[in-house]
Amino acid sequence: MSRIRLLGPTDELQPVLHRIQDLGLVHFVEIAETEALTQLVLTPQQERHLRNVRRVAEDADTAIRLLGETPTLPRRTAESLTLPRAALIAGRTRRALKTLEDRRRQLEEERSLILKFQPFFSTFDKIATSRLDLDGIRIFYLVLRVGSEQELLRMRAALRSSLGEGFELFSQPSASDESAMILAVSTADAQKAEALLSEAGVQPLVLPDQFKEEGAIHMIQRMRARLKELPQDLAEIEVERNRIANERGRDLARIQASLHDHLATIRTMEKAVVTPRAFVFEGWIPSPARAELERRLRKSFGDKVEVERIAKEEWEGELAPVVLKNPRLFRPFEAITRMMPLPRYGSVDPTPFVAVFFPMFFGIALGDIGYGAVLAAVSLGIRFRSKPDTKLRAVSQIGLACALFSIVFGFLYGELFGDLGHRLGLHPIIFSREEAVIPFLGLALALGVVHIVIGLCLGAVKLFRGDKRRAIGRAMAAIMVVLIALALLAAFEMLPGRFFTPLVIAILVAFPILIVAEGILAPIELVSTIGNVLSYARIMAVGTASVMMAVAANRMAGAFGGVFVGLLFALLFHLINFVLGVFSPTIHMLRLHYVEFFGKFFSPGGVEYQPFRHWSPREGAV
Amino acid sequence: MEGSWLYLSAALAVGIPALATGWAQSRIGPAAAAILAEKPELTVTAVLLIAIPETVAILGFVVSVLILLQGGG
Repeated sequence: MSRIRLLGPTDELQPVLHRIQDLGLVHFVEIAETEALTQLVLTPQQERHLRNVRRVAEDADTAIRLLGETPTLPRRTAESLTLPRAALIAGRTRRALKTLEDRRRQLEEERSLILKFQPFFSTFDKIATSRLDLDGIRIFYLVLRVGSEQELLRMRAALRSSLGEGFELFSQPSASDESAMILAVSTADAQKAEALLSEAGVQPLVLPDQFKEEGAIHMIQRMRARLKELPQDLAEIEVERNRIANERGRDLARIQASLHDHLATIRTMEKAVVTPRAFVFEGWIPSPARAELERRLRKSFGDKVEVERIAKEEWEGELAPVVLKNPRLFRPFEAITRMMPLPRYGSVDPTPFVAVFFPMFFGIALGDIGYGAVLAAVSLGIRFRSKPDTKLRAVSQIGLACALFSIVFGFLYGELFGDLGHRLGLHPIIFSREEAVIPFLGLALALGVVHIVIGLCLGAVKLFRGDKRRAIGRAMAAIMVVLIALALLAAFEMLPGRFFTPLVIAILVAFPILIVAEGILAPIELVSTIGNVLSYARIMAVGTASVMMAVAANRMAGAFGGVFVGLLFALLFHLINFVLGVFSPTIHMLRLHYVEFFGKFFSPGGVEYQPFRHWSPREGAV
Repeated sequence: MEGSWLYLSAALAVGIPALATGWAQSRIGPAAAAILAEKPELTVTAVLLIAIPETVAILGFVVSVLILLQGGG
């Protein structure tokens, strides 16, 4: 990044900003005021104009939201709408779309209300055929769960004892697991019936307002008619909305983009300091793009605008904005790095290491072909439902990488839904996690040594630019972790025993160097680092728990009396294990990265690079 | 009898750290929930803080497994 200072005449301020917005690469920063340079203050007229722009932009945003999908932004042309014209279009369209949306909601509510009464339609046919005289009687609409015949009989008996034969009860099972009932009583007995229903805990359905005034038979007829009309009414709304989208969509998109651009320009103007005749801006630009900025400004404004490079001695690197740049394969993993504050400018971006180690650790912990395949299917499902360059897309890509490693390690462990693989003839290639707990622990700790040593080396590289002594100390800590690990292997005879003494001597030599380089607290730091390595035992612990749960799920299939019940329980248990098997390693692997690995080199506190550029529907205002 | 002591010590090796972890998490959890109510952007930090005491239980689990394996259980 290069820090630049822009100087030019005040009357060219807006045109200069427009050129810079076209280039879209300068990240502006606020500058402190001095006696001669004061911050730009908007006049009351400009303030009023700004309020109007905001209001119209809100109208355009709401209208586009109500349209449902973002219209394609037309290519920028010289022709642009005036603010009053834009206000007229955005306001009218928003109001029209709001009216349509209100109408659509009203119709949807009406339809869901009528659908509630649909089970009563056939019951009413019964009433019609029974030639019941509906004058002077009160109708109750009731819904009971199917299977509660006893309740129905009890209610009929209670009604008979209270009302004699002065009632009719029609019931009809509906398509769902409910039974629709209609109770007809004379108006005089209505209160008694109401009390009985209340005692029985049956809540009658309340009639929709628009049908309250009508007779019961007529109401059902109208409901039937409305149910047929409603899809047509809703389709008409959709047609009208499409018409508005075709007629006004492009204009709205243009208004939205140009007003948000305008608002961004004003926000940027507030970062300038001015004299009565000149303006000064300061900001950051990627070094290779500086020449292009100078060329464009010279072409448009000649010598009137000056781009000055501020020497590195005048600014601190920590203030420079940060942009994460990684190969396409690693880019989804930036989402994991971004969950922490951004790394400072000039420090190490851990994304490539996260992209390698996170899915690998996850795969080693989950390590099952079956669960890996299910995770891959879920991730693919999310991928097809997500839009490019969104967090959800990144999650699906991370999920796919984790699934791939889970399948590979599942194959190496010979696991398919736990020990089901063994029963189907799948054999472990490296070891069986059910039995070989110690080799699994050894693998987890070995990975811990590798991961921590890489972290310490990155820390040493970072420190080397500034504090060389501490950099040597960090490198020495990395060497000591390796020496201690090798000495332990020699002590437990996993390496030839003759290596033990030279390794111990090497540790004893390295130790004073570490103290000289890192200070008196270095031994405590070293013990803490060894504790960090031991923390990688969680890969083994989470993995063993996962495989044991899967084995338990498989045993359930034979543990219950019936095969069907057993299978059902086994499937349920596998489902629970899958959810735990994805959630738990994710949390633990994140922790291993953020606490153990990042702790060795990561310098948080970077400012995100947000260049001043044109508004886009995907990225929002910049 | 020796077998019983072996199993008891393995159970204690994982049980006591698990209780300690649970106690620590019971203190961290509500604090994390309170933080998230005001600053949802600290979700990752909150989750990490809750996960940190689990190291104790995990190391307890490893020691427990080692006890069982060393004792031939």
